[in-house]
Amino acid sequence: MVQENVKVENLKRVEFNEKELRKFIGFLKEKGKVYAPHRKGEKSFAFMEVNDPDMVVFEYTRTILPLKKYFFPTREVLLEFNLKDNSFEIPGISSERKFFFGVHSYDMQSILRLDYSFTKGEPEYNYLTRRENSIFIGISFEPDEYHFCKSVGIAIEDMEGFSLFIDIADDDRFVVFAVDEEGLELLKEFGKKDFVTGEYVFKEREFKEKIKYHYGRLPQIFERCYDFETWKRVSEKCVGCGNCNLVCPTCYCFDMEDDVDLRVEKGVRTRRWDSCMLNEFAMVAGGENFRKEIYQRTRHRLHRKFKYITDHYGAPFCVGCGRCSKYCPAGINIVDVVNDLIKEFEEREKVSL
Amino acid sequence: MENLVKEKKILYKPQISEIIEAKMLTDLEKFFRIRLPEGKELGHTPGQFVQVSLFGVGEAPISVCSSPTQKGYFELTIRKVGMLTEKLHELEAGDKVGIRGPYGRGFDVEGFKGKDILIIGGGIGIVPLRSLINYIIDNRNDYGRLIILYGAKSPSELLYQDELKMWEEREDIEYHVTVDRADENWKGNVGVITTLIPPLELDLDNTIAAVVGPPVMYKFVVLALKGKRFPEKNIYMSLERRMKCGVGKCGHCQINNLYVCQDGPVFNYLEIKGLEEAI
Repeated sequence: MVQENVKVENLKRVEFNEKELRKFIGFLKEKGKVYAPHRKGEKSFAFMEVNDPDMVVFEYTRTILPLKKYFFPTREVLLEFNLKDNSFEIPGISSERKFFFGVHSYDMQSILRLDYSFTKGEPEYNYLTRRENSIFIGISFEPDEYHFCKSVGIAIEDMEGFSLFIDIADDDRFVVFAVDEEGLELLKEFGKKDFVTGEYVFKEREFKEKIKYHYGRLPQIFERCYDFETWKRVSEKCVGCGNCNLVCPTCYCFDMEDDVDLRVEKGVRTRRWDSCMLNEFAMVAGGENFRKEIYQRTRHRLHRKFKYITDHYGAPFCVGCGRCSKYCPAGINIVDVVNDLIKEFEEREKVSL
Repeated sequence: MENLVKEKKILYKPQISEIIEAKMLTDLEKFFRIRLPEGKELGHTPGQFVQVSLFGVGEAPISVCSSPTQKGYFELTIRKVGMLTEKLHELEAGDKVGIRGPYGRGFDVEGFKGKDILIIGGGIGIVPLRSLINYIIDNRNDYGRLIILYGAKSPSELLYQDELKMWEEREDIEYHVTVDRADENWKGNVGVITTLIPPLELDLDNTIAAVVGPPVMYKFVVLALKGKRFPEKNIYMSLERRMKCGVGKCGHCQINNLYVCQDGPVFNYLEIKGLEEAI
């Protein structure tokens, strides 16, 4: 894993006011599609294609769905077939240049994790084709009661993966960092001059939600917790709806299915997001189910976030966005689950801090 | 990001292949001989699987049951268990199916060279094992003893009847078969497959056990082998899971940290021992 900590003092930066920043979005729109957070309902936000730069939201908690939907659509056609002659075609996938504006660091980190999963072993053509030529512009945020990315090693101002990063310094003062050459070129082309470098101090931004242990110690917990009582206890409330998988920015399991038109001549093979929390997920033909209890599925999901993939990736796959906790209909909070595991670990190991 | 896309290979593209022979083996299992486009070789190793698909119905992983020593075609034996396999059973010679693969890790036939091979197959577990058995038969001098234990619920459920006769007759194969329930013509062993294990005389340091069967069988076979002090490190087993992609992405076949489609389906017992979700 490449964990490059971008040195802020070495980056060129320049200030924008809100009006100018919206103009910059308009400027990007001339170069390609721009996606950014928009208000959706009273308290909810969603990444959407920008039509009007004035509708883009700069300060938001989190979007309902993460960015993965652009590279790994909820449903996508893998092939279009003709039943009459058994022929098929593979639909083309666009790799046009596109901009993602106003992305939080944890969402950027989730894309870097998906890149890892989709590149490892057999490279995933569909994801990677959509993913290439994507330019990310990050933005700072105020953590709410669900964010805990600091606990998994992701700072609010983590700039890895971005071309530009915007720090919301004040109501009408945005400090824009040119993280890579491409970002710098965009700023220059837009007409920005007078770049500065040197020390820069970000605002204090406090996380209300915390995992009790440093993430470096979590592998130790996940090495031991397989048989813990916590799994059963926290799963009592779980309804097994799979919502947590859908909103998770690093969940990428999928199912494949054929659909045929009414005349039974043509059809499509599609893939769609799937959820390891659903009962049928690990069921084989003949009915055997290798994770039939909800607690087994909860355990599996959390091991995928904190152990299985983490063991080779080198950092937690959970990015601390808080979506699974916020959108859980049963009110299960992932930080509480991890902290309960830590508590049981301490009780069992008789270690105390 | 550009440098991440090293290879533009579409992963989910089936090869439309022709069925050149089809026949029912039992009431539930049908045998297919299949030729890839232009007679291409599948290039599999025993124990690997392919993704078989029918447009409009779907796709599923199926073990290859022929040996790679047979050229120009490969074979599948498919049990009718769901919608796709039901539709596959309607196919005859001349019909087309989609094939992707071969996928996964098969048996280490190179590493097994010079060793005695103990095959333990329960029910349709004999299907992937047939590939290994035929591979050994075709390279008979490279391997030591070939001992085959085969168990089925009843005599009518025994697959590959012609070949079973051949295994029985050949002097360089030790073949033992048992059924859970006999019928009036059955003169052989009756009982579960583990009853065939205790009487075996094995060279414990130089024998590989290849075990494939229904989920419930593994624990008991391992226990029986351990009862003979058979070394755990010499036990290999093939596991069945639901799979969608076959290439380690979709997540369905995952057992703890292992992907059956990539790390398996053939595992050394030590790799899966202690994994609650494995067997």
